[in-house]
Amino acid sequence: MTAQKIIEINSITKVYKNENVETEVLKGISISIDEGDYVSIIGPSGSGKSTLMTILGCLGQATSGNYLLDGEEVGKFSDYQLSRIRNEKIGFVFQAFHLLPGISAFDNVMVPLIYCNKTPLDAEDRVKRALTRVGLEHRMHHTPGQLSGGEQQRVTIARSLINDPKIILADEPTGNLDSKNGQEIMTAFDHLNEEGRTIIIITHDPVVSKHARRILTLRDGRVVSDQTNENFKESRSSPTRIMVE
Amino acid sequence: MRILKNLGQALRGLWLNKGNTFLMTLGIMIGITSLTVIVAIGEGVKSKVLNRIANMGFGPESFSVYSGAGKLFFGRGQETTSMTLQDVDDIRAMPNVAIVVPRQRKRMRIINKKEFTSTRIYGVSPEWLPARQWKIVDGTFLDDLDMDRKRKVIVLGATPAYKLFGDKDPIGKKVRLEQVFFEVIGLLEKKGLTESGYDPDDRALIPLTTSTSRLFRQTHLHSIKVVTTHPALVETTISAVTQVLRRNHGLSVLADNDFRFVTPESIMQWVTEAEQALNRMIMFISTISLIVGGIVIMNILLVSIRERIREIGVRRCFGARRTDITQQFLFESIFVSLLGGMMGTILGLALSIALNYFDLLPAKMTWSPFILAFVFSALVGLVFGIHPARKAALLSPDETIR
Repeated sequence: MTAQKIIEINSITKVYKNENVETEVLKGISISIDEGDYVSIIGPSGSGKSTLMTILGCLGQATSGNYLLDGEEVGKFSDYQLSRIRNEKIGFVFQAFHLLPGISAFDNVMVPLIYCNKTPLDAEDRVKRALTRVGLEHRMHHTPGQLSGGEQQRVTIARSLINDPKIILADEPTGNLDSKNGQEIMTAFDHLNEEGRTIIIITHDPVVSKHARRILTLRDGRVVSDQTNENFKESRSSPTRIMVE
Repeated sequence: MRILKNLGQALRGLWLNKGNTFLMTLGIMIGITSLTVIVAIGEGVKSKVLNRIANMGFGPESFSVYSGAGKLFFGRGQETTSMTLQDVDDIRAMPNVAIVVPRQRKRMRIINKKEFTSTRIYGVSPEWLPARQWKIVDGTFLDDLDMDRKRKVIVLGATPAYKLFGDKDPIGKKVRLEQVFFEVIGLLEKKGLTESGYDPDDRALIPLTTSTSRLFRQTHLHSIKVVTTHPALVETTISAVTQVLRRNHGLSVLADNDFRFVTPESIMQWVTEAEQALNRMIMFISTISLIVGGIVIMNILLVSIRERIREIGVRRCFGARRTDITQQFLFESIFVSLLGGMMGTILGLALSIALNYFDLLPAKMTWSPFILAFVFSALVGLVFGIHPARKAALLSPDETIR
């Protein structure tokens, strides 16, 4: 059985205009990603991987090219429709966590539920379950300032999962963490992938990229290599307790 | 409801950015405070004047002429001594004039043994009662014999009567004004305190002849009340009186009148004019201050959006639409403005009460400042919130999250 394509992008370009200077950041990228795949996108800075992530995450539109996400041609979507796609299909994890300051972990995880078309009746239960899942049930009412880096990143993972998205899009998720916390976070991603979620991780850390089944390398706005990670299973560390269900 | 959720987020946003919230409320607070105070003073002055008119016992066919130049109740400083009984006789001789009441007036201490109070003492002629259309509840009013014999008799208003005698019958008792003892012969009907605190019952009446020769020891009058036979004749009578008084007072052609008229019509006109001028001033001052308040909100919100760009980005990433962001910031600005309005109203009320309490200015509390504050501050919040809210919403998500 062939896996369903969840992401198909075709000849995507992105041009930034700045005071009459045009910079072509993506120069025709075509990628297709199967549902349930585990992909890391690596490349040196300036290679366009962040731009690619904004396009994959429906945070911005490509200058040209097609983008089919879960069967929908999102390249032509309005801001309104893109907001819905981001809400329902994509969970973001950022390098700098981007938790809302001053409000509790619980309320942070609640944020995507605010912007659902219909807030589920069991919203609070769902938030509690998500936080329990990342091992933060005892720190639910702490604000980001009271949490460690690793804990904060686990909150963002809980947040990205709350709407049960098909895709988790992570931008340097371990960039601000020490190696131990980084390892824990990566293990969390491994488990999410095992559940069948599509994971896309943007990174420049080879250790991180080794967790993925497939490694895409970007350079100067082009995909220069697309490898299958032969050591996929082996590279994984033993599961840690945080993702125990 | 999505809009309610955005409202909730707005409230949370304001709570988390307390410093900015407070700064934003300041402008509106000051604006609404001044609005509240000015409206209260306006109402206070208006009701004071209206009460005064109501208590002057003006019928449409009557008017008063006061000594001294100026307008209505507001004489121009120094006392004028030119108005005399000669004027009264001349006016009484005119056709169309039904009643003429000369008046002298002074605020004095009135004493009954150990009790004393300060009240307005009027020296009047017996015609005062029909001209003023007041009633006597006990005893009699002054009569011509009292006038002729310069009798030391007094008719008390309800307020001094109560203060001096309590519930006892004052008729036949003696009261003292300076060194002169007066016999109380009558008691005026009680009219009751007016809203603005003016007390029409705070008066006592003695014969004019007695006041000129025994008490005030002056011959000039404070004012003359004239009742004509028909309201339509008021105007012609006023011009006739003007001529007579100018002649009697020996005023040259170029000199201004040294007296002034108070007619029901002129009072109404003055009140209307004053009210309009006051309303215009209120409008002007509050518009300016509210615009300033609005600009303050707008600027702080614009800065705050820069500070909160991450928050906007995160919300956008997880599905907030442009309208959600617009609504959130618009709600914040409206809320901040309403909060400022509320604080302003409270502060304004406190100030108005203080103004009244310390007798600096008459201020009257009405509902209008509350409604005005609510409407205007909501409006200001809306108008000045639109720009920052749109600006926040139009930020592209990839820029805000970077």
